[in-house]
Amino acid sequence: MMEFDLQRYLLTMIVLSPLLGILALLLTPRHRAGTVKLIGIVAAFIPLLLSLVMYVQFDLNQEEMQFIQQMEWINIPIPLSTGVGYLPIAYEVGVDGLSMPLVLLASLIAFLGAIASNTVSKRWKEFYIIYLVMEIGLLGVFMSLNLFLFFIFFELALIPMFFLIAIWGFMDREKAAIKFLIYNGVGSGIMLISFILLFIITMTLNIQEIASQFTDPLSQLNASDQYTFVTENMRMGLFIALLIAFGIKMPIVPFHTWMLKSYQESPFAMIMISSGIMIKMGAYGIIRLGVGFFPQWALDLAPMLALLGLINLLYGAVLALVQKDLKMVLAYSSVSHMGIVLLGIAAMNEVGFQGAIFQMVSHGLIAALLIYMIAVIYERTQTTTLRELGGLAGQMPFISGIFLAASLASLGLPGMSGFISEFQSFLGLFNSLPVYAAIGTLGIILTAVYMLRATLQTTFGPKQERFHDVVDARPIEVVPMAVLLALVILIGIHPAVLSDVVRATLQNLVPGIGG
Amino acid sequence: MEQMLENAWLIPLFPLIAFIVLVAIGKQLKQGAAYIGILATLASFVLSLFTFFERFRDGAETYFQPVEWFSIAGFDVIMGYEITQLNAMMLVIVSLVSLLVHIYSRGYMDQDERLPVFYQYLALFTFSMLGLVISPNLLQLYIFWELVGVCSFLLVGFYFYKPEARAAAKKAFIVTRIGDVGLFIAIILLFWWTGSFAYNDIFNAVENGNLESWQITLAAILIFIGAMGKSGQFPLHTWLPDAMEGPTPVSALIHAATMVAAGVYLVAATFDLFTASETALTVVAYVGGFTAIFAASIGLTQTDIKRILAYSTVSQLGYMMLALGAAAAVGYAASTFHLMTHAFFKALLFLAAGSVIHAVHTQDIFKMGGLWKEMKVTAWLFLIGCLAIAGIPPFSGFWSKEEILLAVYHAERFDLFWIAVITAFFTAFYMFRLFFVTFTGETKLQQKAHESPIVMTGPMMILGVLAVISGFINTPWNPVLSEWLTEGMEGSLHVEAPVWITVVAVIVSLAGIGLAWMMYGKGSLAQNWFSARVPLLYQLSYRKYYIDEIYDSVFVRPLNGLGKIVYLFDIYVVDGLVQLTARITGAIGQLGARMQNGQIQTYGVVTMIGLVLLIVGMAVAGGYFQ
Repeated sequence: MMEFDLQRYLLTMIVLSPLLGILALLLTPRHRAGTVKLIGIVAAFIPLLLSLVMYVQFDLNQEEMQFIQQMEWINIPIPLSTGVGYLPIAYEVGVDGLSMPLVLLASLIAFLGAIASNTVSKRWKEFYIIYLVMEIGLLGVFMSLNLFLFFIFFELALIPMFFLIAIWGFMDREKAAIKFLIYNGVGSGIMLISFILLFIITMTLNIQEIASQFTDPLSQLNASDQYTFVTENMRMGLFIALLIAFGIKMPIVPFHTWMLKSYQESPFAMIMISSGIMIKMGAYGIIRLGVGFFPQWALDLAPMLALLGLINLLYGAVLALVQKDLKMVLAYSSVSHMGIVLLGIAAMNEVGFQGAIFQMVSHGLIAALLIYMIAVIYERTQTTTLRELGGLAGQMPFISGIFLAASLASLGLPGMSGFISEFQSFLGLFNSLPVYAAIGTLGIILTAVYMLRATLQTTFGPKQERFHDVVDARPIEVVPMAVLLALVILIGIHPAVLSDVVRATLQNLVPGIGG
Repeated sequence: MEQMLENAWLIPLFPLIAFIVLVAIGKQLKQGAAYIGILATLASFVLSLFTFFERFRDGAETYFQPVEWFSIAGFDVIMGYEITQLNAMMLVIVSLVSLLVHIYSRGYMDQDERLPVFYQYLALFTFSMLGLVISPNLLQLYIFWELVGVCSFLLVGFYFYKPEARAAAKKAFIVTRIGDVGLFIAIILLFWWTGSFAYNDIFNAVENGNLESWQITLAAILIFIGAMGKSGQFPLHTWLPDAMEGPTPVSALIHAATMVAAGVYLVAATFDLFTASETALTVVAYVGGFTAIFAASIGLTQTDIKRILAYSTVSQLGYMMLALGAAAAVGYAASTFHLMTHAFFKALLFLAAGSVIHAVHTQDIFKMGGLWKEMKVTAWLFLIGCLAIAGIPPFSGFWSKEEILLAVYHAERFDLFWIAVITAFFTAFYMFRLFFVTFTGETKLQQKAHESPIVMTGPMMILGVLAVISGFINTPWNPVLSEWLTEGMEGSLHVEAPVWITVVAVIVSLAGIGLAWMMYGKGSLAQNWFSARVPLLYQLSYRKYYIDEIYDSVFVRPLNGLGKIVYLFDIYVVDGLVQLTARITGAIGQLGARMQNGQIQTYGVVTMIGLVLLIVGMAVAGGYFQ
């Protein structure tokens, strides 16, 4: 009897499973809103289920990539002086301790985002089809083992997002979408150029192959007497190019302003996706490609990374403090929290990297939860302006309680995931760059100041007449809240669920320790 | 026979279970939710008591039980629990006061429909506080440290619809967090310097000379900054008086007896680190001393019953810090002893104040008066609390305050000694001012006040008994507690101090009471005798030295202003530059794609521009294809 090789096909099944939903949606009549939405949600549930299988099957002691599937895909003809050559591009996917949690996070956020999208009030069919296309991209980015595939999936996530904002957003949605597109377009452009250069230099697209060529002292690229030798300036240029390309996505100040507009105008579910998982693609790219290819430059430029991290952390926090709109508080808070990821990376040690990975996952969960809570509040009050909100805890104690819990998680309360991530990032950074770390701890105070200001302004205070008949959470709304909060608390009190996964891979990621 | 110690982890578990149960079904239980909390804390108290006796009477060894938590890059972080002498005593104090407050609140919060929520928070607090006390390492302590902080925040903001409560809750969280960051940094630095979070490993590293003296001093001072936040030491004291916006039983439990003492506990628990640094100890002593007299001087003029008690708490915590910093092992014993007696008499005072507020619905003492006749039980118990805190023999406060004075004098810190004496005078004065104004004279109330029900007065009576007798566990001729607490510590407990100190201390307290009697009791001295003669000093004290106003104009406003300026910068400069780039790009895009439209084209154009920029950049960097 033939045994189905789950190990081999699992990732492909995960990344392609949204196609099932797309197919089903194409066959569904557009006027049946309920059915369309249900299909969309169920379709987004399948990748999550499969990702959970991946989590369970994941070998904790394996340092290298797992669930690898490689196959010939396309051959691109290239004119050469000797005739026509073929450039084979392979389809190759796999995950390790860095990418596996992010695939899981992507499938989870995409599922919850699909639930949150059930309030979409027009063109449901198109919405969910585009949404599921985007999900393919989100899932694929983290499992790509070569640059070509990585780029394709990256764009497959970004372009649908443009349409989702442009068509289903708020008043000024088109402007926001264009801004999103221009920024991310520039980022993608720089990324594409870098990838092409990397390919020309190494003659391969395989990420691990490129990394080992750059880092192996015996490789041709490091032989100074060969024509293949790559100068340090070139390496630095490429490292910085990758940093900018992914820095726009992450976002690193000053490339963050696209995010503000898209926070204001996007549908809430899209903000969930954007800050829950999409901006992690940037951080992932910096770790996997930037640090992975050029570890020495990452080490040398660590103080610069730390400085960028500090700017993100403190600049975002100070700005979050004066915002008049809940969504904008969240936008700047995301900028601030991604600063902690940068600080963890800048530590350039295992502790810091573990902190950065924890922070990516943790912020993904917490940001998604916070935005969902704002969505729920907006649906009832029709406003996200702080001045107009207040006293909601009286009418909706459950929603207010979860919202408060989410902001406590965001400000790093122990017992929740935010603390563990922050703590590890700072622990790492204090070992390598203590002065930067000490300055960064100011962020811990500022985060509390702006989070509490926003939250207490919304739910505490005198009861307001006009919110007299708002209702508390409905059962369907409880699902995303409960799932996200439970995971935030799970990681907070039992961090081993994540640290065990990361452990074996960690030394491969950190410059100067592994390969 | 160490069964109790082995099972000490059950102590915090009961309140945790109560918390979970109350979250799940509290709403359905309505006022019955109270009994879940009461039962759980009762169980914790009984277990704590057995644990204490096992350590105290049978002299059981320190018990430590490690559990692996998770690994940080190959380092296994350990959780667990540890029962030392100090922990054992703290367990009893915390679980006892918590139990009494749980019972009392059944009466005090009876009319509140959110009683189940109240008991949820109380249970979570009790769990966290007990967890804090039995933590064997700094990281675990920090986790519970933050959790008690958040419970305090939740309970201060319990009346969420009151703007004052909202502001106070926020302030409590943020001001203590400033201190917490100090502790946070200390934990991380100590980890890198000693390779561990555990107290014992850190102490061993200190003892073996693995740390430079600057490292010890820095770590100790950072830890102390954390302690200052929690224990309301100057300049981080401002949150504690505002925290009185919370329900009064909470003020008794969290903001008087237990959580705010956690700072003192922290310094005591890491005392081996502090004793290795003379500088750190001096800082502790002077910050404590200054806070003691500073807060007491504010307490002299306040009119809100709870705020007077709050400033008194700040002042008494300063007293404990002073003793810790000034007088090594003797100070340690005196300080922790005072922590215990203070927990009892201050909880009593707050609960009695709550009983008064419950009856008269105001907190302004000058709107009360003459309550002695109407609330006999409360009045008597309040008087006992006042006598205890004023240090009148044989009440408990006398013994512990006496210990502190002797210890400080013995350590030859004479400046601090006199500060402590003056503070004792202030304390006696403001407490009895409060007592006379509230309970004697003519009533200014419209309606008649009623004595509180037994569910409230019962717990107060137990605390009353403790406020009278708990001092006897540690008398100068038989210092059982001190000897036990300092077992294995360096330094002699034997203090040769002149008898006059005791005499002076008692006379000073009596003088304070006498002055209060003349001004507010008998009335032989006008109430405005001082305020009329030194109006400036009076205003300074009444306005709390304008500290809140100073912080507002030095920190809060500038920070907001900075935020607004930076926001303008973000919109106009950062985004403006980008807009400009985009506009230029757009213009080029329109040139290049005149016949096409739609944004995807723009996208392509931007990509191209990115490409050009990149190539130019790399050409400039000189690295382009060699």
